[in-house]
Amino acid sequence: MVELNSNELTDAEAEQYDRQIRLWGLDSQKRLRSSRVLIIGLKGLGAEVAKNITLAGVKSVTLLDDGAASQDDICSQFLVPRDQIGKNRAEASLARTQNLNPMVNVTAETCAVADHPDEYFHAFEAICATKCPTDQLLRLDKICREKSIKFFCGDVFGFFGFMFADLQTHEFAEEITEFKPTATEEPAAKRLKAEPVKTTVKRSSTFVPLQNALDVDWTAEPYSKKLKKSESSYFLMKILLKFRSENMRDPSPGTRSADMEELNRLKNEVLTKMSIPLEKVPDNLLSMVFAEIGPVCAIVGGVLSQEIIKALSQHEAPHNNMFFFNPERNLGHVECLGA
Amino acid sequence: MAASIAGVFTDDLKNAVETSKVLVVGAGGIGCEILKNLVLSGFKDIEIIDLDTIDVSNLNRQFLFQKQHVGKSKAVVARESALSFNPDVKIVANHDSIIKPDYSVNYFKQFRMVLNALDNRAARNHVNRMCLAADIPLIESGTAGYDGQVELIKKGMTKCYECEPKAAQKTFPGCTIRNTPSEPIHCIVWGKHLFNQLFGEYDADNDVSPDTEDPEAAGAAGESALKTKANEQGDIERVTTRQWAQQSGYDSAKLFHKLFHDDIKYLLSMHNLWEKRRKPTPLKMNELPDAVAGSSKDNSAEGLKDQRPWSIVECGQIFSRSLQSLKTKFEDLQSKNKDDHLVWDKDDKDAMDFVAACANIRAYIFGIPQKTRFDIKSMAGNIIPAIATTNAIIAGLVVLNAFNILQNRLESCHSVYCRLRPNHRGQLIVPERGLNPPNEKCYVCRDSPQIAVSVDVNKLTVKELEERVLKSLLNMVQPDAVKDSTGDVVISSEEGEMEGTYHKSLAEMGILDGTVLSVDDFVQNYSLQVIINHREAEHNKPDIEIVGDQSKCQPKAEEEKSNGGSGDNAEEEDDLMLLDEVEETPSAKAERKRKQDSAEESPVSKKLRTSDVIVL
Repeated sequence: MVELNSNELTDAEAEQYDRQIRLWGLDSQKRLRSSRVLIIGLKGLGAEVAKNITLAGVKSVTLLDDGAASQDDICSQFLVPRDQIGKNRAEASLARTQNLNPMVNVTAETCAVADHPDEYFHAFEAICATKCPTDQLLRLDKICREKSIKFFCGDVFGFFGFMFADLQTHEFAEEITEFKPTATEEPAAKRLKAEPVKTTVKRSSTFVPLQNALDVDWTAEPYSKKLKKSESSYFLMKILLKFRSENMRDPSPGTRSADMEELNRLKNEVLTKMSIPLEKVPDNLLSMVFAEIGPVCAIVGGVLSQEIIKALSQHEAPHNNMFFFNPERNLGHVECLGA
Repeated sequence: MAASIAGVFTDDLKNAVETSKVLVVGAGGIGCEILKNLVLSGFKDIEIIDLDTIDVSNLNRQFLFQKQHVGKSKAVVARESALSFNPDVKIVANHDSIIKPDYSVNYFKQFRMVLNALDNRAARNHVNRMCLAADIPLIESGTAGYDGQVELIKKGMTKCYECEPKAAQKTFPGCTIRNTPSEPIHCIVWGKHLFNQLFGEYDADNDVSPDTEDPEAAGAAGESALKTKANEQGDIERVTTRQWAQQSGYDSAKLFHKLFHDDIKYLLSMHNLWEKRRKPTPLKMNELPDAVAGSSKDNSAEGLKDQRPWSIVECGQIFSRSLQSLKTKFEDLQSKNKDDHLVWDKDDKDAMDFVAACANIRAYIFGIPQKTRFDIKSMAGNIIPAIATTNAIIAGLVVLNAFNILQNRLESCHSVYCRLRPNHRGQLIVPERGLNPPNEKCYVCRDSPQIAVSVDVNKLTVKELEERVLKSLLNMVQPDAVKDSTGDVVISSEEGEMEGTYHKSLAEMGILDGTVLSVDDFVQNYSLQVIINHREAEHNKPDIEIVGDQSKCQPKAEEEKSNGGSGDNAEEEDDLMLLDEVEETPSAKAERKRKQDSAEESPVSKKLRTSDVIVL
């Protein structure tokens, strides 16, 4: 974790970050400004995270993507100018990301995650992976665990999205509000009124590796008890990650009907293997997972970015360890899985 | 763009997105994010309106703007940036106030829906009424720090923005500010009032000198105090603070001595006030303590001058320096136009320095903890913290609800709340379970609405009825009022028509207890019956009040609903109803613009202002 840098903020920084310093305090801002963040995958969700993290004022943002910007990206990728479609996504996103905040050092990296040696990832305080195959996610999480790097991953599939965090053992300051009776000169009747008093407490939270979260056994306690109440998001995520691993791509609007068939097949396979009733994932949900819908990238990207900011600034309790956005009800919920 | 790629949306949604015209009101934190989402989703016909210009403190979240855009129109720059995402969209940008009569009910009718991304209640109330009158769905949204909310407003189907009474702004009794401050905020309010007394728009209600009518000081002590004053000054006639300052040539030492020594001594002579309170300590400018006493801030911010506590000596120096700078600016303005004056602005260095220094000196005098300039700026400027992430989440939810509207699924547009911490069910983004039906007693959206207002009919003038009751309190723009019983015109939106009677009291116009006025606002297409209740004005009590506001506007059934509603803390949700995206009291120039437009919320102080209650 970043040591609190003794360097003070400049007046220019204080001015530009004023409205957020008033929320999370100067110490948080100082921690952010000495943090280096790697963002993997520059499609819709990656672009939202790159925007939010760069605006927040970290030390550096590295955009990593080995793919070329495609026509489908324009649904949600606002960092790639139209005339750069066909070029590498990270490079094409560089100029606009840098423009968001000249005080952050932004760079692009075009080499695939799998082609980087482990040491490459040691140079960051936080890594956020999107559009990554599961085997690489597990590898990254392992590297992060060894070096105490905060690990995040997440994805948006159509209207659906999720994120996961592994902060290992994470210490943070949390502002809590307690109601205390006030001592005033007022008459006794008024004195009974309790006033909210804010105090900051130090807490810590322990996370589990991604593997645990992906391997939850819903037939055994405590999860079997929760199964009835729990909604479809986790299982939908499993189906979609399986689709990605087997097809080396995500469901695409261009091949919609073929992909729907494939998704249905995977649904049967995945849910049967997990001994989950098929109706747990309604068919209409499978039809909502094509491309990346901009507003959903904004929602999941907003939550994911805020988690990165919380982790780096060690301010406020992080969500341990998964967040899901279910588009059927506009419901976003946090669940601790695999602990 | 999503709609242009086959297979992303259903055909219905694709067609609706590509053919629907939408209005975005506000190009701030939420507005920028909404505009991005609309363009990426494939909307082709968008109008955006904002009267504000870009400030450096916007750049941490209003991502369509960059440093080189500071000072330019938000609407215009937001349009340019959004067009770079997709040059094929038609975006009309208006650098203007939505409250202008040009934006009529017919103007609103051309849109499929309106998306609000506003930062003040007056504009929200107005757009609410325009959308009700035009019968257009409105998606209302707001954020404050980590919290945010989105809700649909549709005539006859949901609550309107004004169905629930909003909490009034925090007010302080005049005598607390003038005589017996006990908290930092009292001293900060006093500092702002002092600024206005010296350089701002004259307002007799915001006096800063000792209040001799303080009921607590009544009796012999008060009288003797008055005598003392009469003896010292030779006559009992009060001189305004500004006259006094002008006569003394805005001399720092003399002003300091009057404000922080003589006036304090005078307060000390009102013995009753200090029987159970710590007595204030008069200060002399050449004997100021060097210590940073009772400071509220730790040492974490040595480098940033805004966050470093000031000693009282330093406060004295800053008082003198800022006073002289402000004097120069003020005299400059007055030499061009003698009616012109300064407008307090938290972003003006001298104005902010002046208030911070005065507030801390006064705090020291009364044994109240001092605050840093950074903290004083938050309180004096009503700054609401704002971050990119919450705005992005809320704007995403706004546009998802817009999709629901386009697919004629209004019943699915449930209000959604977003918080820092998940609720007990683990929900972080929390939709309500259904729509909230309209409040059948709402004075805005029900049929033939009524409201009772209590005023002193012998004191309140027709002009005040128009400005303070109809426009300020009830948020009308161009009201006409006639007496229900006789049809006599009382207030006319035609200029000049009623000038002769504007300064008459209501009683003189035959408006007495129980009189019913039919008020009609042509711009908002809004009619309201106002029932006048007479109540004699009293010291330290608001002279204008909506009668039975809470009970009338909030039937019991509603209360149960909001408590039981989504299983969440109803109190928090009510709080959230008030959230504004950005800021703060608008900056001075914004305020000027707003005045010209006779529009937008002229900040804080104009709302619900009452003669003896001071509004921050």
